[in-house]
Amino acid sequence: MNYMPGTASLIEDIDKKHLVLLRDGRTLIGILRSIDQFANLVLHQTVERIHVGKKFGDIPRGIFVVRGENVVLLGEVDLDKECDQVLQRVSIEEILEEQRTEQQAKQESERLKLQAVKERGLSIPKADTLDDF
Amino acid sequence: MDDSEHPEKTGESVPDASWPENGDQWSDKGEEEEDECGLLQEMAEEDEEIDLYNEETFGLDEATNGDNPAADPMDLLLLCSDNSPTPQSSPPPPHSSHSASRPGSRVWPHTPTGWSQRGRAGRGQLFDDPAVVKTVEGRPSLKWMIAPQKSSRPPAASILQDQAIVGVIDRSRHGRVPPVSPNFLSPMRPFSTSRGRRGPPFVGSFNQRCHYQNPMVPCSPFRPQRLFSPQQQYNQPGGFLSPSRPPLSTPMPHTPKLMHLQFGTDSPRPAPFYSPSTNIMQGFRAPGPVAQFHPQHKRLLSQRQQRPHRKPVSWDPYSQIMTDKEKEWIIRLQMIQLQSKNPHLDDYYYQEYYQRIEAKLAEEEILGDRLKKEPPKLTTPYVTKALSYIPVVHIEGSLGQVAVSTCFSPRRAIDAVHANTSDEHKDSRRQRLEVLSTIEKLYIVLLEVEEANKMKATVSDKDEERRLMQNIKRKVDQLYNELRCTNLLDSGEEFISCLLISKGKSMLARLLPFLSHDASLHILSVVTKNLPVLMSKDTDEALPVLYPSLRAVIDRLAFSQLIRNLKEFTATLPDSKDTRLTLACQNKFGLSLLYALLSQGERLLSSDLPMEPSIGDFETWTDTVFHVARQLSQTTLVEPLLLPSNLLTLFCRYLDKRTVHQLKNNME
Repeated sequence: MNYMPGTASLIEDIDKKHLVLLRDGRTLIGILRSIDQFANLVLHQTVERIHVGKKFGDIPRGIFVVRGENVVLLGEVDLDKECDQVLQRVSIEEILEEQRTEQQAKQESERLKLQAVKERGLSIPKADTLDDF
Repeated sequence: MDDSEHPEKTGESVPDASWPENGDQWSDKGEEEEDECGLLQEMAEEDEEIDLYNEETFGLDEATNGDNPAADPMDLLLLCSDNSPTPQSSPPPPHSSHSASRPGSRVWPHTPTGWSQRGRAGRGQLFDDPAVVKTVEGRPSLKWMIAPQKSSRPPAASILQDQAIVGVIDRSRHGRVPPVSPNFLSPMRPFSTSRGRRGPPFVGSFNQRCHYQNPMVPCSPFRPQRLFSPQQQYNQPGGFLSPSRPPLSTPMPHTPKLMHLQFGTDSPRPAPFYSPSTNIMQGFRAPGPVAQFHPQHKRLLSQRQQRPHRKPVSWDPYSQIMTDKEKEWIIRLQMIQLQSKNPHLDDYYYQEYYQRIEAKLAEEEILGDRLKKEPPKLTTPYVTKALSYIPVVHIEGSLGQVAVSTCFSPRRAIDAVHANTSDEHKDSRRQRLEVLSTIEKLYIVLLEVEEANKMKATVSDKDEERRLMQNIKRKVDQLYNELRCTNLLDSGEEFISCLLISKGKSMLARLLPFLSHDASLHILSVVTKNLPVLMSKDTDEALPVLYPSLRAVIDRLAFSQLIRNLKEFTATLPDSKDTRLTLACQNKFGLSLLYALLSQGERLLSSDLPMEPSIGDFETWTDTVFHVARQLSQTTLVEPLLLPSNLLTLFCRYLDKRTVHQLKNNME
């Protein structure tokens, strides 16, 4: 029940399948193979999973080395629960297409919003961030 | 690090200097093909000697660890320089790794299996194209070193060097080589615990290999860095060093080069020095703080260590990529950051939080929740004693000291000692600053007193308790004496100077509970006597901080002592027609003090405890009460810090109803 300090607590997660959420919004799923004191991760047989609505698609990526500071959160994937998923798995092309459509829709709505706001005389300053989210 | 010795550093050396640096020499060597075999044989012979030395210095026996500290590194270097045309002239790490190869070369003829022979071309290809992974089985032999020379030349230089490196890597990695499976990328065994040694155990692990599989390419880009560093690490017998670790006297390196290594570890340096492959649990004379692990943690670690030959999980070929050593290393690293002699001080919030959680759980348990669930606790290192850290390193035989730059003293600067100019015009500001600095220095003592007091409550051993109490008493006395001596404005009045400073006020407030009755009484009387001065100079309204402690003192006052203090209030001040009383009415603290005194008097009078009043006490008392009452009803009063409940009863007894009523209105 006792837990180790710092990144040492990740040691017991090694060789287990994990889902890692990165700061740029990507979701990676891979087997955690190695860590270090900065929580840099080595993910094996990694798959980048793109979610759009109820669909998702996997892009196999191979080995990922993730710099620790870019990780938002990570958690072990329950292999049993992974089997019964509510989400529908689609092909890569399809999911990328879906993503593109979603992005376009979002951009369109943003543009409309901006226009409407401008018409009313207000101006929203652009959020100057590095991250997408 | 090694630059000083090998200025002809070539471009292909990796920054951490563990790569051989005289690559050009190697390529030159490649040209002399005819001398090759002879040279290699010579190398083999001399290496045996060197191995002996190595074993003596760094080998299996801890006792011999410090015996020849000066001799061996020097010998190594000497030997290195003797064989200049050979790669052995490179600095110790690659040399030692070369020597590490020697036992292998000795053994190889006896182990027909288990070593892959890479064709040179193949190896070259491997380095050219990292995506290509080849598995070749074959017989180990020295010939692999010679063979490359014989094959085609064109990318000779780089590949020869590479192959040498690769050869070293391969040889030293056999600890990781898996036993049997012929599968591609079969599981790798974790480093054996004898990983760091050169000598029989090292040789022994050779014998255990059957096939050398080669997931080398994915690994070798980063493996060599760690591989060399253990060799390097060897040159620092101290092993895994923490920033707070002192240089141990005997194993201290005696060569400038090795000193660099030593210093390197004192400063927080990244991975190369904190090699996970160094076996710390065994063999090394471990540095103090790191080795002092909580027994539970030690068990944990030893458990982990007892599974070095854990059977690789059969369904997962990559399951042992992170070795146990590496895991241990991370654990150690995190633990070091948590080391503390006094966790209650350093990690106050966590300790408090955990204590509260446990208390709550204990309560719940008592209330009937049978479940003995322990809250998950952070595993922390258990430090029994911390070795003192020596900021100055003295190399034996040298004149003077070396400036050691550590994380605690990044730069040895000249200590700025301010000269105590006791003569000359001291303006009050400077005086104040001096007093302030005294107070600040004494704060540490006060903190120690409070800490010891807290520990006293928890410690069970009687001797320890007694010792703590003596300690506390000594420190309290020291504080008392130092504080009373400070006197500003040559007032001749003790404690005033520190009372005039807000920090001093809070310090006295914290000190008061620890003082003896007489001492605290003394302070109370000082405060009362100098109340006008204190009140007028209390610009940041820090006086109320004294109230709780003084209240506690007052509550223990005997009647006559009380009377003495009260008398001060009604006496007229020497330099003005006001009394302390009138001034006190305008000041929160003063008024509260007055109320506290009155309340105590009332309590004493109305209680059944026998009092020993001196002559005239009662008269003084009644006089004072009248006086006070009159004053209070006439002037507008400020809001006191605390209005004691028995004041009105007191006044009721002595005064008529109307006055009391008036008083009441005024006070509220």
